[in-house]
Amino acid sequence: MEVISAHTIAPHLVNPLFTKEVMEMRGGEKILDCIQCGVCSGSCPARFAMDYTPMQIIRMVQLGLKETALASSTIWICASCYACTTRCPRDINITVLMSSLKNLALREGISTKIETKPKFHRSFAEVVRKYGRIHEPELITKLMKKTDPEALFHNAALGLRLWRKGKIRLLPSKIKQRNHLLAIFEKASKEEI
Amino acid sequence: MKYAYFPGCSVHSTAQEYGESCKAISKVLGIELIEIPDWNCCGAIDAVYSYSPLFSLALSARNLSLAEKMKMDVVTLCSACYHTLSRTNKLFDEDPKLKEKIERVLNSVQLDYHGKVKVRHYLDVLLNDVGFDKITQHVRVPLKGLNVAPYYGCLLVRPPNISNFDDPEHPRLMDELIETLGASSVNYIDKTRCCGASLAITDEAVMMEMVKKILLNAKDAGAECLITPCPLCQFNLDVKQHDIESSYKLEINLPILYFTQLVGISFGIEPNDLGLNKNCVSPTKLLQRFEITR
Repeated sequence: MEVISAHTIAPHLVNPLFTKEVMEMRGGEKILDCIQCGVCSGSCPARFAMDYTPMQIIRMVQLGLKETALASSTIWICASCYACTTRCPRDINITVLMSSLKNLALREGISTKIETKPKFHRSFAEVVRKYGRIHEPELITKLMKKTDPEALFHNAALGLRLWRKGKIRLLPSKIKQRNHLLAIFEKASKEEI
Repeated sequence: MKYAYFPGCSVHSTAQEYGESCKAISKVLGIELIEIPDWNCCGAIDAVYSYSPLFSLALSARNLSLAEKMKMDVVTLCSACYHTLSRTNKLFDEDPKLKEKIERVLNSVQLDYHGKVKVRHYLDVLLNDVGFDKITQHVRVPLKGLNVAPYYGCLLVRPPNISNFDDPEHPRLMDELIETLGASSVNYIDKTRCCGASLAITDEAVMMEMVKKILLNAKDAGAECLITPCPLCQFNLDVKQHDIESSYKLEINLPILYFTQLVGISFGIEPNDLGLNKNCVSPTKLLQRFEITR
């Protein structure tokens, strides 16, 4: 006989392998040490824009709620400021945990309400892989093409402001040994697995 | 004093005035900065790391490998580059399995790294290698009566196991620098509160809400200008200030300078040599108070 009939958590959402998977990623090592004190959430300057608090995300990882955690806006809103990590009494590197969760979401193609952010990461990495350095106009154009072409006009005004101040380069700054970049990327991709 | 200089991508584009003012004050203080030949993106704390952690770490390590040959400490202006390069160094030192992976990736392009490089932020060099005494000697225009808000942001002081030259919660070094130049440092609540970084590109409204608080609290505390050690912070606080004003129907008009520009002003260096014509919120009024015209 089932003792508890009404589940607090829908059983089909629990994926016990997820906890283990995250524990093997950087930032996830000490995830089971979390005592849900909430210092991370209280310290987060971007909390107001997240659907779940950082503390809730950690609990989701402990419970194996993979889909819910990876589809959250929280992991993408995190701006890597390290306020939570600096204060965590259990020494959990929450900032890097958020990066690792982003990485997992990108690899598994899990979509989120914050559509621009995953595309930003992909576009940023692509530009750096091409030139060795970031080139803002190309990054923005690439990104807006993938998301919202209308936003290009808004960014054109910003671009003009920067142009007037001489703060924008039309041509990218490139490293000389660009052959290093693809080699490093390919080798890194193989080693990562 | 010689250092391997890592400018970072922003100093070549949106943060040119940071590079220019750093160069100008370094000349006065006898700091020699030798650019790391063919340096690349630092590895971008989260933007590249989330896409591929090992690619990000390897990009970082390529820079460290190039700098190691120069046998000098690495100095960078950008807080995010400072953090990313230092973090790679730390992981390289502490995680033998990861170290081997990074080495294999570097070897694939005939490079190697032995973990001998120390990464420093320019503010650390200014205050700990040059020292307040020497800075005081060069002050030609004491900034008496000027109320300056020091904005430390995140990665200059956090996390403490990577950045360890100031207190992570109550940093003091920029406050002391301000006082050294004859100005007064303003105490306000958001000194180390995040500016939103790349949310400026992807979630502008979120960034604006975060920055609005910082700017208004600094102003309420009496700030007449604000100084920052990071190109990402400067971009969000200065370049986007106009958008914040129109979005919230506010008048803020708070000049946002790099700390190197403030040092340069007090040294009596020509405003154009400090790139003061490139800040979006005009610092002209502030300069006129000290009879500096451009």
